[in-house]
Amino acid sequence: MPIGPAVTRRTALKALAAGAGAVTLLPWLSEEGLAAFAEIQRTQAAPRLLVLTSAQYQTVEALVEAIIPADDRSPGASEARVADYIDLLLGEAPVFLRRRWLSGLAALDAESTSRFGSPFLQLPAAQVEALLTDISRNELLEEEPAPADPALALPRGEEPRLQPPQLDTLLGEVRHPDPRRTPLQAFFADTKQATIHGYYTSEIGIHKELRYKGNTLLAEFVGCETVEGRDCPHCGQKAEG
Amino acid sequence: MPADKTLDLDLDAIVAESRRAAAAIHPGSGPWDVIVVGSGAAGGMAAFQLATAGIKVLVLDAGRLINHRKEYRTMEWPYASPRRSRLPPDHRAIAAAEYNFFDRPYGNHPELAKYKKVASYAGNAFTRNWVVNEKQHPTTGTPYAWVRARVLGGKTNFWGRVALRYGPLEFKAASRDGFDVDWPIGYEDVAPYYDKVDLLLGVSGTKEGLAQIPDGIYQRPIKLNCVEVHFKRTVARMGRRYMPGRCGVTTEGVLNNKYRARCLGRGRCGRGCDINAAFHSPNALILPARDTGNLTLRPYSVVSEVILDPATGRAAGVRVIDANTRRVMDFKARVVVLGAGTLDSTRILLNSRSSRHPSGLGNSSGLLGSYLSEHHMGPRASGFIPMRMGTEPTLDDGRPTGPYLARFRNITDKHPDFIRGYHFQGGGGAQEYPGFAHDIPGFGRAFKSSVRRHYPALISIGGFGEVLPRKENRVSLDATVKDAWGIPVLRFDYRFSDNEIKMARDMADTAEEMLKAAGAQDIKVEREMLPPGWSIHEIGTARMGDDPKTSVTTRFCRLHDVPNVYLADAAPFVSGGTQNTTWSILAMCWRTMDYLKEQMRAGDV
Repeated sequence: MPIGPAVTRRTALKALAAGAGAVTLLPWLSEEGLAAFAEIQRTQAAPRLLVLTSAQYQTVEALVEAIIPADDRSPGASEARVADYIDLLLGEAPVFLRRRWLSGLAALDAESTSRFGSPFLQLPAAQVEALLTDISRNELLEEEPAPADPALALPRGEEPRLQPPQLDTLLGEVRHPDPRRTPLQAFFADTKQATIHGYYTSEIGIHKELRYKGNTLLAEFVGCETVEGRDCPHCGQKAEG
Repeated sequence: MPADKTLDLDLDAIVAESRRAAAAIHPGSGPWDVIVVGSGAAGGMAAFQLATAGIKVLVLDAGRLINHRKEYRTMEWPYASPRRSRLPPDHRAIAAAEYNFFDRPYGNHPELAKYKKVASYAGNAFTRNWVVNEKQHPTTGTPYAWVRARVLGGKTNFWGRVALRYGPLEFKAASRDGFDVDWPIGYEDVAPYYDKVDLLLGVSGTKEGLAQIPDGIYQRPIKLNCVEVHFKRTVARMGRRYMPGRCGVTTEGVLNNKYRARCLGRGRCGRGCDINAAFHSPNALILPARDTGNLTLRPYSVVSEVILDPATGRAAGVRVIDANTRRVMDFKARVVVLGAGTLDSTRILLNSRSSRHPSGLGNSSGLLGSYLSEHHMGPRASGFIPMRMGTEPTLDDGRPTGPYLARFRNITDKHPDFIRGYHFQGGGGAQEYPGFAHDIPGFGRAFKSSVRRHYPALISIGGFGEVLPRKENRVSLDATVKDAWGIPVLRFDYRFSDNEIKMARDMADTAEEMLKAAGAQDIKVEREMLPPGWSIHEIGTARMGDDPKTSVTTRFCRLHDVPNVYLADAAPFVSGGTQNTTWSILAMCWRTMDYLKEQMRAGDV
């Protein structure tokens, strides 16, 4: 069977046509568009934005870099082009999620301006720290008591009468929206999760920051050296007597 | 510009080839001795056994052929696509939380109906062209996460590779605790076939000498990494056994098959192994069967029912609806072997209604569809082993499976809350994607360094528990809802009982207990059960037995009511222990085919 280039113009058009009912609302990219997008990320060319204005893009870059900054070990989320990734997520997200996220971005600037007199992009590091400390306060909440267990334990024939979960984040997670967060806190939590995903799936995140060593051809998996009867230099465990 | 390999693959060539293959084969193309329905673990093994014995076989698969070179994207990095291995926006996989809350059919729910393709939870960037669209394949009744793949090889293209044997504790479970009935056969009946499967396909593991999980014939085992060695030593002090995972992947190669190479430790087998070191039915069984010259393979062949010869009362063949042309054809053979997967084989039989068999073929007992069982899942725990915190990561995930923690409940002791038991799977160390980062609070340098400090230290285990085989857990044909080919769909009536719910609680408790004993930090415990069906280990809906009044098939997986219809998948299994099912399907199918070959030789069918 032939192993040719996987994508042709024809399939791209066909894919768009086939999904017309669902996709016309979304400005999602053709296959060539995505390939171009990947190339931009790889070569550090100027962004090709789907949703964000260039001013918004700059604010997002500053925000994601504040979440995962460059340090001695590796570049941060800005160089890993996480802002471009978030722009793509926005472009492919349902309209209500995109609107909610964009109003969160506006609220970030509004909060920044009311507290410090200037938009987020212009804040010095100490004020960024103070602002993010506040809005990250409720980012990780204990899950509400699990509804699935009682539902499954219901007597036969009875159906659960609980609120169904909803698509709730840019990454497409399905869960119950948490009323304990302010809109700005929800915006931070969502952006941080997307930043984590964008950064740790990038070349910078995987290879430079995490120094992940896998996905290579191995003659044999090595494992802990105690398995070979030696003391292990990686974990310090002693070989078994 | 490099093409983006993660996008919708150009499947035009393979689709065209599949259509040509389907168009070339019609009822007059035979004759065939045996029709095999399905091409996964069951259909693939049935076809292989028969074809290599010189028997002319017609394999009917509902899906298309597969181009494994193109579709098994084993080494693709996430940054190959800006979408980072997420589904495209017109695709949607049903989330765990949705299965129990959305009305069935899931594809009709307003939240899901707007997508072009609605996949089961197993649909992802790598499997999405294989798993079925729920809109075409609805189900009704109680919640059930039914994962189906309609493509050559079925779910073996992305299976979890855990290759375990049932043992005496499963075959004679009822004798031990008085619940339900024993299998009519014992471990000694199946053990020789497990041996044969081990040698034919290759399985990696260690001999442990445990009654609850009998040893096989193993190739080089997958070593434990640092955190796993620590965990193994910890639980050993509690009398529990944590061992290298047993997996259906050849680590030393198999000399019987030119389509497979040995494992090269990439660790991404769930996308399909492009060198076929992992067992996938197309290259491991179907291609070698084809090379005998005795196999005819017809893709796009949706089997709606087994047709009966009214004169003899035997099966005459099967009715096929071509998935593309919708043409209906009757294919004839001396014997019909169903290997469409436990639930789809059951559905075909239920739909094979005639005046002689008004409630479905092989259903004189009224039990066809009952005793649906699988494994309940969900409870799990994760944490971080201090000795690896802040160390340089090692290569911890270049292997086909993580370790296995053998069942320890109700073996020598008796638990006060539940019968039967559960095992754990899972391991640790540095995995490509640090999923735990989503649970680390904060931002900035502190956050970033916290992620890398935790990175090599993760350990995570999750349980698989036995669901008791109960008559009231059943599937039947829905009276009104039909699939895209007009075939009635399955209505589920399946719920977990008190035994499963209590066992799941104990599972979460012991997972937490063991991580604490290992000195793990930041322990996170999940207690919630996943939706029914999540294990993809469904068994039991055409159970075997010696009494036709209380069982559907004989101890050789042949229908009591019709002497030339056999089941090659897990539908005849009586109970399923905690063991992942595929290796038992392969062994039981081989045993059934040996019996069938003998019947054919003797002229009985």
